[in-house]
Amino acid sequence: MPSQDAASGPAVAPVPAASPGSGTGAVAYDEMRDATGAPRAGLDTVDSVLTTLGHDGLVERAKLRDAYLDRQGITFSVSGRERPLPLDLVPRVVGAAEWDRVELGIKQRIRALELFLADVYGPGEILEEGVVPRRLITTSRHYHRAAFGLVPPNGVRIHVAGIDLIRDEHGEFRVLEDNLRCPSGVSYVLENRRTLAHVLPEVFAGHQVRSVAEYPERLLDALRAAGPSDVADPTVAILTPGVHNSAHFEHAFLARRMGAELVEGRDLFCRDDRLYMRTVRGPRPIHVLYRRIDDEYLDPVHFVPDSLLGVPGLLNAARAGNVAIANAVGNGVADDKAVYPYVPRMIDYYLGETPILPNVTTYDLSDVDQREHVLANLGRMVVKPVDGSGGYGLVIGTAATEKQLASVRDDILADPRGWIAQPIVELSTCPTLVESGLEPRHVDLRPFAVNDGTDIYVLPGGLTRVALPKGSLVVNSSQGGGSKDTWVLDEGARASAAEREDEVPLVTRVRRSAVARHHAPAGAEDRLRQQEGQQQQAGPPALPRAAEVS
Amino acid sequence: MLSRLAESYYWIGRYVERAEATSRLLAEHYHLTVEDRSVSDDEAAAVVLDALSLPYDVVSTPTELVRALLGDTTNPSTVIGAVSSARENARSVRDAISGDVFEALNGAHLTLTRGLMTTASPAASMYRVLERLMVVNGAVEWTMPRDEGHAFLSLGRALERIDMTARLLDVRHDLGWPETGPVATLRSAAAYSPFLRTGETPSGERVREFLVLDPTFPRSMLQSARSAETACRTVQQFGGDDDDLLREVGLMRARLEFASGTHNAHVVDQLAAEAQESAIAAGSAVAEAYFRQAGTIVWSH
Repeated sequence: MPSQDAASGPAVAPVPAASPGSGTGAVAYDEMRDATGAPRAGLDTVDSVLTTLGHDGLVERAKLRDAYLDRQGITFSVSGRERPLPLDLVPRVVGAAEWDRVELGIKQRIRALELFLADVYGPGEILEEGVVPRRLITTSRHYHRAAFGLVPPNGVRIHVAGIDLIRDEHGEFRVLEDNLRCPSGVSYVLENRRTLAHVLPEVFAGHQVRSVAEYPERLLDALRAAGPSDVADPTVAILTPGVHNSAHFEHAFLARRMGAELVEGRDLFCRDDRLYMRTVRGPRPIHVLYRRIDDEYLDPVHFVPDSLLGVPGLLNAARAGNVAIANAVGNGVADDKAVYPYVPRMIDYYLGETPILPNVTTYDLSDVDQREHVLANLGRMVVKPVDGSGGYGLVIGTAATEKQLASVRDDILADPRGWIAQPIVELSTCPTLVESGLEPRHVDLRPFAVNDGTDIYVLPGGLTRVALPKGSLVVNSSQGGGSKDTWVLDEGARASAAEREDEVPLVTRVRRSAVARHHAPAGAEDRLRQQEGQQQQAGPPALPRAAEVS
Repeated sequence: MLSRLAESYYWIGRYVERAEATSRLLAEHYHLTVEDRSVSDDEAAAVVLDALSLPYDVVSTPTELVRALLGDTTNPSTVIGAVSSARENARSVRDAISGDVFEALNGAHLTLTRGLMTTASPAASMYRVLERLMVVNGAVEWTMPRDEGHAFLSLGRALERIDMTARLLDVRHDLGWPETGPVATLRSAAAYSPFLRTGETPSGERVREFLVLDPTFPRSMLQSARSAETACRTVQQFGGDDDDLLREVGLMRARLEFASGTHNAHVVDQLAAEAQESAIAAGSAVAEAYFRQAGTIVWSH
């Protein structure tokens, strides 16, 4: 149901190429090696470890990994079946300088999108000025009038964002789509790091990889900062649809790591515009609700009236300022696929800046000129439904039959607002362990960002998803996608380690354990054991032969 | 109950606990040094070995550290040594303990000695051992009658736990690895999830306070001291006579229970050091009271 799951979400690479060279004729960017075939910066250790291990070694580690993931229960559900998220053994590495740019770009984008949301749920200036066409907003399924004029306590609507990036043929990162509702997958980022360090520790040798472990802490801080201004110590809860949801592992994971209560709709009720949870000691107030269910199910008073997952009256409580909902209701209008082409204009309009991370070229099919252009070049386009997710309904021009193209043409003409089109982009590749050995597979990247109202924290790395079937374009777990541990190298770390050389060694700084250890009294027992053993070997002692002597 | 039996029960409790704590520390410390390289390999090895009173000058790589901590049957302060010592003690009381306890211990011993260990992933191997040790503890709790034997075993476990927690704190993960160290300390005591339930952020200071003074976490020093006291009282109920032992353990418990100024890091560290010394004194007292009574021996002709 949640449409922004890493597992079953909408990220679909607009890439048809099975191997470098096919499709558009452009060659995919290789994440592992440069044009000369040498490993890229930071990847020399990884490369040599992979070579040393060989195929058999890697297969052995893959078994260890599967055993570990199974035991830990790190799973997502596909059609009701729990499966471990396939983690590839080869890490994906992003250089420090490259990452700095990505981080700035994501922060910039989120600042603009926050301003956009505040605008469209308020004065609507950007619509007045025609920078973003009003028709796109009023026709968006995710624009909720129920949220109009609802201003969150600290002004933040995008508490958590997952911005999907791809790397094009020239090695440049581009934004493929924004996820501003319930982006999921961050738990896999943390678990992937731990799992890889567990089963393939040697690839980490000689690198300082930036830690991802502080994410839950940063998220908790941001959620607490979002609480009502008159509450000094706000209570945070995570609302999950329940154990049958595909991302339930993640909901439980975040609740545990943040020390927050994991609640379901039936645990909650609203009274006098306040939200409470039912506990054994009576009602306890909740001030910040990090909900992991869709808007439509959140409050039966305003949305789907027979929803059992939500809480009646929640939106009114939020409007009264007694509870903050994260992410805010109605964010979907800003990550609508048809609004996405206008994000660069938003950045210019609100911030007066040029976008640091460019979009992928995208055609708005409700615009007549753009639609004509797309229909004339349908064979070279990727066409996506704006509400599609998990790669469903996607049509790739070069891979489609005449019949499919004709049917897409009809669909577009019937409902131009329901579709977008993008020219085919060759996605970057990364070596990935498949049955026949290490082979290049297409990858994308979903970095996660947390906005606490004063600063935006971008988790170093993010979730790299990989299309496992050969030539596949769809990096989606529900369509055979896997994931990779994603490293951002910390190049400052070596220096700081070197600086520490002058300091007193750690071992002399701590209280030395002068305390001797207690052991069972071994000396006496050893002698005893020796004697017992000798007796067994010698058999029962012989009887004295005194009679013979006398 | 024979003194010899009582002593074996006591040492089963201690060695199983020692093996478990050492395995966990090894797994998590290794993991920490893989993920966070802010401390050089030889120093990272030295702090652990030193805290465990093992020689540290000869070890300089993570793999050597794994070997040193796994150890061998000759040193009961290593994982293999502790497990095999526990098993030796179980053998000598095999007629009295349940088959389940012995089999579980034997399983742990075989896992360690039959080449099932792989240096490819020390953490994965340690978790296999830990699983066996948890089965041992489960079998002890589910199948042992609550007699003196069980009380001696519990006493041994509680005293060892205090000692091992003190040693874990001596590693000072929080100084060497300021960002990831406090969590590694918690994980080494299986305390990560319980700590997070308190809703606090794992800082070095808070983690130390939690492991020493938390009133509900079963591995905190306070809870271990309470367990030790309960075990001593149970022994007395069966007719034991050990005023020195009970006094030592009771005072230790009271110092932790009614400590003031506990938000001060120095006070917490002081309490931990005192508790460790008390646990050692209690170890000597139990041996004197029950395992090796001298008394006056009167020879009649």
